[in-house]
Amino acid sequence: MKAILLILFPLLALGQTPNCNVYLYNKDTSQYLACKSVEQVNFYQYTRQYQEKFDKAIEICPYFAYAYNAKSTAYLKSGDFINWKKLIDKAISLDESYLDYRAWCRFQFFRDYKGAIEDIEYLQSKHNTINIGYSAGGEYHLIVAKAMCYSALNQKEKAISIMLKLFSDSTYNTELYDFYQLGVTYFQAKDYENAAKYLTKQVGIYDIAENKYYLSKIAQIKGETDIYMNLKNEAINLYKSKKYLFDPYTEPFNKIYLSTIMEE
Amino acid sequence: MKLVAFLYLTILLSTNSSCQIENNLSKYSRFIGDIDFDGKYDKQNFYLCSEKEIVQYHNDGNGLEYKGEKFALQAEILSKFKSVLDTSQNGLIRIRFIVNCKGETDRFRVISMDESYNEKQFNNKITDQLLSICKELKAWMPKKMDGKEVDYYQYLIFKFKDGNLIEILP
Repeated sequence: MKAILLILFPLLALGQTPNCNVYLYNKDTSQYLACKSVEQVNFYQYTRQYQEKFDKAIEICPYFAYAYNAKSTAYLKSGDFINWKKLIDKAISLDESYLDYRAWCRFQFFRDYKGAIEDIEYLQSKHNTINIGYSAGGEYHLIVAKAMCYSALNQKEKAISIMLKLFSDSTYNTELYDFYQLGVTYFQAKDYENAAKYLTKQVGIYDIAENKYYLSKIAQIKGETDIYMNLKNEAINLYKSKKYLFDPYTEPFNKIYLSTIMEE
Repeated sequence: MKLVAFLYLTILLSTNSSCQIENNLSKYSRFIGDIDFDGKYDKQNFYLCSEKEIVQYHNDGNGLEYKGEKFALQAEILSKFKSVLDTSQNGLIRIRFIVNCKGETDRFRVISMDESYNEKQFNNKITDQLLSICKELKAWMPKKMDGKEVDYYQYLIFKFKDGNLIEILP
């Protein structure tokens, strides 16, 4: 049963419909009733009706963390950092399982690198394994997110060592853009040999315009004009085929735009 | 029969009026972050295709859409913004506004915070400059959803370190 609960709680953190029976199993009638009151909510997160439904759930059970997290989403997506932070902090004060989500959102939506690192390092201190969670879309492990934060703070060597350590863990499965992010960090640290090594590995996993752009830059630096031009054209074609980093809410980290590829 | 019709009408009217009262009493707008017209700040003649159906910039799955992508938007802002060097000017400023179905903008609103997510008033030389620059941005792409032209809410967040504009989001 514990195993089932462990599976269910991450689902709650991701904002999916909660399984109210979890609360009943724990003999927590108050949270169970609050949960039941929002079980069938099908209003859009931004609507008045959605917010009011969750306010009522909080009236039923003031420590129903799920409701605070659910209410916070519309503020997050509309860029209202002040109200988002109040609500997500309240959710976390009641249930720390939302910490992974806050960590990622601090990074993704507000480029709060120090805040995201703080949350991720706290999660690492609480767990003995690397299983501390993923980005909201699942494309990055939070330890890679931490490395990206250090990279943004211009601590490239630290970012590289964090990623290398994670990728060498036998229990870790490489995610979609891991080698791209490591390759770009090496490139920014001017270690072009290792940059090329990991960007080439990325080609085999999922080739994107940005990846080819950096490979073309390495060829340009080495003075390999023909290879540079070919790779640049490949990057342009990939971009035109919509094979690039994209997120509907925010600009992905280390995103490169078509103008940059074409002009440089 | 007349009595039944009268009772039906009474119930209908009372339901409608109680809905209105509920709406008026609610602390929430129709959608979180809705920006109502305010004669003090907004253009009287700002055209909206549908005031009641303003969507969010991400609802169509295409995200921020500016001619030349965010690259051009960023370049335009950075070329115009002049830093106000001051070590106390740190944090984020969000400017949210409506892009109408023709790609025109209005109803700009500002919120700002320090690096700990507390409300913070930035130097007016910074916020006024950003507001003017945002109002001058003319290459927003009109959006369509289900084949219908829509008005949408867009925001820009400006990250400051010591009065320098260091990042533009989202």
